[in-house]
Amino acid sequence: MAFGSIDELEAALAERSYLADRGLATALYLALKLEKPLLLEGEAGVGKTEAAKSIAAALGAPVIRLQCYEGLDVASAVYEWNYARQLLHIRAAQDGTLHEADLFGREFLIRRPLLEAIESDVPVLLLIDEVDRADEEFEAFLLEVLSEFQITVPELGTITAKQRPYVILTSNRTRELHDALKRRCLYHWIGHPSVEREIEIVRLRVPGVPDRLAAEAARFAAELRSLDLQKPPGLAETIDWVRALTALGQQELDVENIQATLGSMLKYHEDLLSLRDDVLAGLVAGVRGG
Amino acid sequence: MAGDAVVRHVVVFGRVLREAGLEVGPGRVADALRALDSIDLDRHEDVYWALRQTLVARREDLESFDLAFDAWFLGAAAPRPSRVQDRPRPTGTRRKGGVPGPGPELDGGEQESGGWSADELLRSKDFAAMTHEEFVRARRLIARIAVSRPQRSTRRLRRDRKGTVLDVRSLARRSLATGGDPAVRAFRSRGEAPRKLVLILDISGSMEAYARALLLYLHAARGSGRAVETFAFGTRLTRLTRELATRDPEAALAAASKRVVDWSGGTRIGPSLKEYNDEWGRRALTRGAVVVLLSDGCERGDPAQIDAELARLARQAFAVVWVNPLKGDAAYEPLAGGMRAALPHVDRFLPGHDVASLEALGRVLGGIERRHAA
Repeated sequence: MAFGSIDELEAALAERSYLADRGLATALYLALKLEKPLLLEGEAGVGKTEAAKSIAAALGAPVIRLQCYEGLDVASAVYEWNYARQLLHIRAAQDGTLHEADLFGREFLIRRPLLEAIESDVPVLLLIDEVDRADEEFEAFLLEVLSEFQITVPELGTITAKQRPYVILTSNRTRELHDALKRRCLYHWIGHPSVEREIEIVRLRVPGVPDRLAAEAARFAAELRSLDLQKPPGLAETIDWVRALTALGQQELDVENIQATLGSMLKYHEDLLSLRDDVLAGLVAGVRGG
Repeated sequence: MAGDAVVRHVVVFGRVLREAGLEVGPGRVADALRALDSIDLDRHEDVYWALRQTLVARREDLESFDLAFDAWFLGAAAPRPSRVQDRPRPTGTRRKGGVPGPGPELDGGEQESGGWSADELLRSKDFAAMTHEEFVRARRLIARIAVSRPQRSTRRLRRDRKGTVLDVRSLARRSLATGGDPAVRAFRSRGEAPRKLVLILDISGSMEAYARALLLYLHAARGSGRAVETFAFGTRLTRLTRELATRDPEAALAAASKRVVDWSGGTRIGPSLKEYNDEWGRRALTRGAVVVLLSDGCERGDPAQIDAELARLARQAFAVVWVNPLKGDAAYEPLAGGMRAALPHVDRFLPGHDVASLEALGRVLGGIERRHAA
């Protein structure tokens, strides 16, 4: 166990430019301490993947990432045989000297993320990203891997983890995950950050940002989230936006520079349209007054 | 170390959460105790997070958890059993008297239709005109309706002799016998899986005569396989997928009606669609799905919102089907503002007033094609 307390873990993350709030820090700490996978849910852009990468860096563990998608199968998630190599091997061998078992040795195995994580000699952080996108069949398979930390390759037998990987799963909640999978995990919902925290994060992530711009942008982001938008901006959007404004040499927000850059915050045409000039002017006056 | 007092505290707290509707098994309580062992119990905030992260597994349950936590550990007001009941009841709308039982009472008149009528007759009888006995028999028919769904091709490859993708794994194995010459080739092709199906049922006052039958249909639709999501709305939207998951239609109906607050309240189609789009559409539930709306289209609010929200929904959906029980009447014309606003975004507009029309709906869904670019 690398961290003696939640405070220590918080500090280690902050050193890697990741400001976790107390809730997330507690979740990560407990996941390590109880040796359970951690399921992180939250709106897009609140920093779920980033949290996993940062804790891995703090632990000094390599990240092995499995990006899920519809139709993800064993061949791309666990292992595949290297057929080209097998065929060449058959060609090179003398007639009748080759047995099927020779073809299915470890040297012909292509390791995909899950097997790689199980076989690793050092503890790794296994990041299973957007698990809600994978099919339910795959989720069932995942459940098996996460409860036993072993994988069976029919030709080779069962491979058990030498070092239990740290596991973080993220989900955007496009569908509800299986209760059985959830029971295996600690659960943390990441919400949008408070204005103060968002200012801190922006200052940390965008070097050279003027203080005033960071504060106004964070307040502006919070205002946008309180509007009735189809896709409210996440933290990632704020960071991108402030980066753009900083690159343009802006010191503070005004109606013109917002209009020129708002595309980094609002990704839907309807949302851009709904922010009429008078609404925008009102928002700008509000965040600058504060 | 978590002392006996804490253990007892957490065990009872788990029970409080179960009362509030959370699924808290013994495994979770054990996790909570281990978590408390690992943190500083004097830091109230850490205790909160440790319990929340071990005892809650769904965002929807966070609010109930917070209420219970405040009540139990901070001595605030006693938790309310379920936050669904906190919602203000719609005012100024027609309600049937009494507690919301298992669905709205069917009051198709008490007159007897005269003896036994064959299932065939029943199949084309308007739900609104059925007697209680007829409905009891009709529900059996509805429960048996097969809902077919269009297929989508998956990325996963299956063995298929007529496929077009070479199955190299099998090829390598078979080439052993021929010294590496690929004499026998095997192929794979893309598999198929049913498309997502989203059913959204209007249970407001004007739909009263049909809501119960259609809810049974929603339950039957779940039998068509995975990836079926069901919702109901009157003045606001409720997700019913979980409640309808049980196999027994009666139990499903009872569970669903417990969840739905506004049986037979007012109709707010526009705002409910918006709620759906904001909460579920944003999470990509609609994308690639066949969306079926079951409603009479009688909107109390502004039809312009139906226009806007349905357009938003239709842009993401594979196809949009509107089932309107009123359409069973040959003389019906979609003149109501809400229905008129909706039609431009709808791919198929169908009746749903009797068993036969629901059976037909299943066939339509199976053969539906991608909507034309709007």
